[in-house]
Amino acid sequence: MEKFKKVISQYPFLGFIIAYLILLTIPTIFFTDLYQSHLSSLIFINIIVAAGLNIVKGYCGQVTVGHVGLYAVGSYTAGCMFMYLGSDLWMTLPAAIIITGLFGIAFGIPSFRLEGPYLALATLGGGEAIRLFIENGAFFNSTYGISSISQPVIFGVPFDTPDKYYYISMPVMLIAVYFSYSILKSSIGRAFMSVREDPISAAASGIDIKKYKILAFILSAMFAGAAGAVYAHLPPGYIHPNNYTVIEMVTFLAMVVFGGLGHIWGGIIGAIIITIVYDLTRPLYEYQLFIFGLTIVLTILFMPKGLGGFIDKIFIDRRFKKKKVEESK
Amino acid sequence: MLLKTKNLMKAFGGLKAINKVDFELPAGEIRGIIGPNGSGKSTFFNLVSGVYDPDPGSYIEFDGHDITNEPPHKIGALGLSRTFQLLRLYQDMSVINNVMSGYHTRVKYKFFDAVIGRKKIWDQEREIKEEMMELLSFVGLADYAELNASELSGGQRRLLVLARAIAMKPKLLMLDEPAAGLSPVNVDNLMKIIMQLKDKYGLTLIIIEHILKVVMDTCNTVTVLDHGQKIAEGTPNQVKDDNAVIEAYLGKKMNDDEMRKALAV
Repeated sequence: MEKFKKVISQYPFLGFIIAYLILLTIPTIFFTDLYQSHLSSLIFINIIVAAGLNIVKGYCGQVTVGHVGLYAVGSYTAGCMFMYLGSDLWMTLPAAIIITGLFGIAFGIPSFRLEGPYLALATLGGGEAIRLFIENGAFFNSTYGISSISQPVIFGVPFDTPDKYYYISMPVMLIAVYFSYSILKSSIGRAFMSVREDPISAAASGIDIKKYKILAFILSAMFAGAAGAVYAHLPPGYIHPNNYTVIEMVTFLAMVVFGGLGHIWGGIIGAIIITIVYDLTRPLYEYQLFIFGLTIVLTILFMPKGLGGFIDKIFIDRRFKKKKVEESK
Repeated sequence: MLLKTKNLMKAFGGLKAINKVDFELPAGEIRGIIGPNGSGKSTFFNLVSGVYDPDPGSYIEFDGHDITNEPPHKIGALGLSRTFQLLRLYQDMSVINNVMSGYHTRVKYKFFDAVIGRKKIWDQEREIKEEMMELLSFVGLADYAELNASELSGGQRRLLVLARAIAMKPKLLMLDEPAAGLSPVNVDNLMKIIMQLKDKYGLTLIIIEHILKVVMDTCNTVTVLDHGQKIAEGTPNQVKDDNAVIEAYLGKKMNDDEMRKALAV
């Protein structure tokens, strides 16, 4: 086991390949209906968004509430490219990532001067503005939404049902998580954290604050764009401006906060749990916002570092205690 | 000269926090800066390290580079490291991450390598971690590496801040009250560690300190500031007997007539 751990820490890529193999086999063993595949795809999409949101909010500490707007940009890039050019996922995904990244710059610039709640307000306005722009734009099919967006075809096999689309969304999610893992575990992740903790002393250590702030926004926007594109192509391939409201934003926030802000797996844990809870509580639609708002407040009150941080803390404390006991012997 | 300021000025509104200070520091020296509260010591640090922009007409040179109006991160990258009076620790990061973030300017791999997670990233990260653990055990914090910085005691935080400033292998290290709030035993311990680090890394030091014993024992030269002006400079013993310095700290020496006048009012 120790040896296995060591190899994984040297080649994290292997860990992701193992995860890929496990996830490949899950549907054939456990899934009984299409709905479970559909829900899994939704979880994967949310994981991508949450992983991105964790970069900018959890690691870099920039409070952005407009992320759903970037998610919408990703979806509508894919949707419009399908509608006007007939492109499939392999074309729309990179395009969505690039275009959303550019929007990320626009969201990042206010962070040079604004902080905390003020930045939240600015980004909230940005996100809503994007949604309203889409809702009122004939180019985007306004409130009709874009429907029957195509599913990708590989070697002549169409991936047009939820159980097949699982095999598209899952690798995209794994690649995104791998990128976020290696970014956050490198010096870039540490630079993000030090910008969050204390910009002045970060600058004294030679960290360019503006560069890292804008980088965090661009990276997380790219994640949101990728997620948006995958969502747009999710069978039955229908997107509507109502999918990108503040309610969605609150669920995204609940994911990262509950999972653990600034914890490397935080967004992922949160995305899995919150997406499932979101789905189970659909009958209580009127109370969902209340539930997620309450989740955020309670998490911040009782587990400020989220579930991930909470579990980590237990392990670290135990190891520290063990060390001390050994020393005293 | 490693650090040179000429005609350094900074005014906050009408208050001249730093007023025409010329300062020269050769490499390898330990320089103490003393002065009463509000005399501009910390402002001097903030000007040199780029936290504040100096007023027009000032000139700062570090290691042959004009750094007068450079942003702080560029000055840091040139090899000028500093600590803060209020520590400015990364509270919510582990001790080891605190120190490793100080290593930032020495990281060799490129951004793109980190994004795709190439093997050399993980190799280098491990090297960095080993080196920083060594540094931590040097200052005596290796056992606490995984704890949050906010869980450390006051004295340990001072050591951690020191380690973080050293992590970038600076040419010049500026310490803003490194021993504030420490007990005498801890002060001695801290100064011993600082001196060991200086020898180990070949540092040049500037120390702001209110504990005069520290300054007198360790510094080669002492600069005294008062009301933003340099009022004395010399070896600790010269400075100790300087009239201007005594006046700044204790007030003016009076003759009997003056004393009588002062008391009558």
